[in-house]
Amino acid sequence: MTHTRFTRRQFFAAAAATAGALAIGRPARAKGSVTAAMYPGTWEEAFRAHVVPALKSAHDVDLEMTPLFAVDQIAKAQAARGAPPFDAFVLDPGPRVTGIDRGLFEKFEARRLKNVGRLPAGMVDDWGVTVAAQVVGIGYNPKKLPRPKSWTDLLKDPWVSRLGMTGFQTTYGTVSIIEIAKQFGGSETNVEPFFVEIKKVLSKVAAIGAPASMPALFQQGQCDITYTNTQTVATLRGRDVDIEFVKPESGAVAFFTTMHVAKGSREGENAYKYFDTVISAPVQSALMQPPNNFIPVNRDVKLAAALPMASLDEMAKFVRHDWSKINPLRAAWIERFNKEVAK
Amino acid sequence: MIVDTVKLGGLTVAATALVGYPVALVYLGAGPRWQRVILFVVILPLLTSVVVRTFAWIVILGREGVINQALLWLGLAPAPLRLLQTEHGLVMALTQIEMPLLLLPLLSVMSRMDPSLRDASAALGASKWRTLVRVTLPLSLPGLVAGCMLVFASSTTAFISQFVIGGNRLVYLPLLIWQQSLVVYNWPLASVAALTLLVSVGLGVTAIAAVGRRSRAYAV
Repeated sequence: MTHTRFTRRQFFAAAAATAGALAIGRPARAKGSVTAAMYPGTWEEAFRAHVVPALKSAHDVDLEMTPLFAVDQIAKAQAARGAPPFDAFVLDPGPRVTGIDRGLFEKFEARRLKNVGRLPAGMVDDWGVTVAAQVVGIGYNPKKLPRPKSWTDLLKDPWVSRLGMTGFQTTYGTVSIIEIAKQFGGSETNVEPFFVEIKKVLSKVAAIGAPASMPALFQQGQCDITYTNTQTVATLRGRDVDIEFVKPESGAVAFFTTMHVAKGSREGENAYKYFDTVISAPVQSALMQPPNNFIPVNRDVKLAAALPMASLDEMAKFVRHDWSKINPLRAAWIERFNKEVAK
Repeated sequence: MIVDTVKLGGLTVAATALVGYPVALVYLGAGPRWQRVILFVVILPLLTSVVVRTFAWIVILGREGVINQALLWLGLAPAPLRLLQTEHGLVMALTQIEMPLLLLPLLSVMSRMDPSLRDASAALGASKWRTLVRVTLPLSLPGLVAGCMLVFASSTTAFISQFVIGGNRLVYLPLLIWQQSLVVYNWPLASVAALTLLVSVGLGVTAIAAVGRRSRAYAV
């Protein structure tokens, strides 16, 4: 068997011809792309349906999504040390504060967003822009239980024996437990009263589940009342589950989901175009419609009747929390929950 | 928590072996066509994602699930039993989820066993039970031990099943590792928990192997 030998010149000529052919045959490309971390599930589906086409038509930018929960994004970005695996974060307040503390974001330049003027005050800061709101309260099955009035009802009969709980792993779980603690004399930084009260009724609690399994547990009738956000309630109602949202007497809790440019991202320009598309009125309006059920942040969007407020400014009255105070305490709370509530 | 995790592995191994071994014996006694059917049924769960199988168990074990409805209908329980978020519910689910890991090595060893040995045992006057204990079991032991080791390693580290079915009521080492590494970013503690899990699973597997070796020596 003989081997054909190439001279170096022949090799380079062939390589150049191949590269040239590839370049000519390449279809028209978009102006660029941006890789965004995205919550799996509802968010990813909604963004694929509405944000991807809107960003493409408005700015000719392709959006690639990496499905990751907020905590996973922080862990990945930190592990990557300066070479972020994505250009844009989407985060809840707790992980957002961690990201700021650990220097994972580029400084945010609000003037690069055309739609920034349509957001209510306080939705943009030096680190990112708010793209959606979440309102947390009580979700219950009206066919099986009377309507609860306050957070304390969760720990009373008849509700407690049908209560489904989650721990401090999620933002909505953490703020709900803080609110329960507050009703018994606790505060944002003191959840001791919650642990005292829950111990008294622990054997009655119907389910203490993983956050991801809560909708399934509710749907299966394992629990009939739980703390949850309006988006989950709307999604379950869309599947014909008997569930209603209640704003507790002390007020529903609101928190915001924000987007940030990853430190060291090379697609900063496209990331801003992406953010601007997300907060634009048509996209926000589309995201609000079922089955997505987002709470919009753009003032030009007419709010759906099912939302727990008539205007975005009303959200200023909702209960808010300072996550820079909560974050340092959360590890100890989780440990305590594992020891006292889990066992 | 270490004890709970190892105990969960032990219980799952015991339950899978108790349910799986008779299935393997049925396989051994079946004709070639039925053997193919049994093998297909054994492999079937592997064709679905473990997440799907675990969520299916929520439907089965739930308050209004199949088991509770059957119990209520038969009048065996006055009120729905709590099966989700309990250790026995989790062991039930893991038994089904991990069953292929026990059966595949076991069936592979059993199908290579010489049938004439069992015939010889019967011809020499041994009862079916004696043949099982003195001939079939010792010969199939390598497969059983391999299966048990796989089930132990897999069930102690089955994060999804432990978290979804056990919820926050049952906390095992994999959940602790996840909480510490991804929720509170306490990586040193997460590393310690991960190493602890690795060592305890390693010790468990070694123990099963040692038991296997000893009992083989005894049987022979």
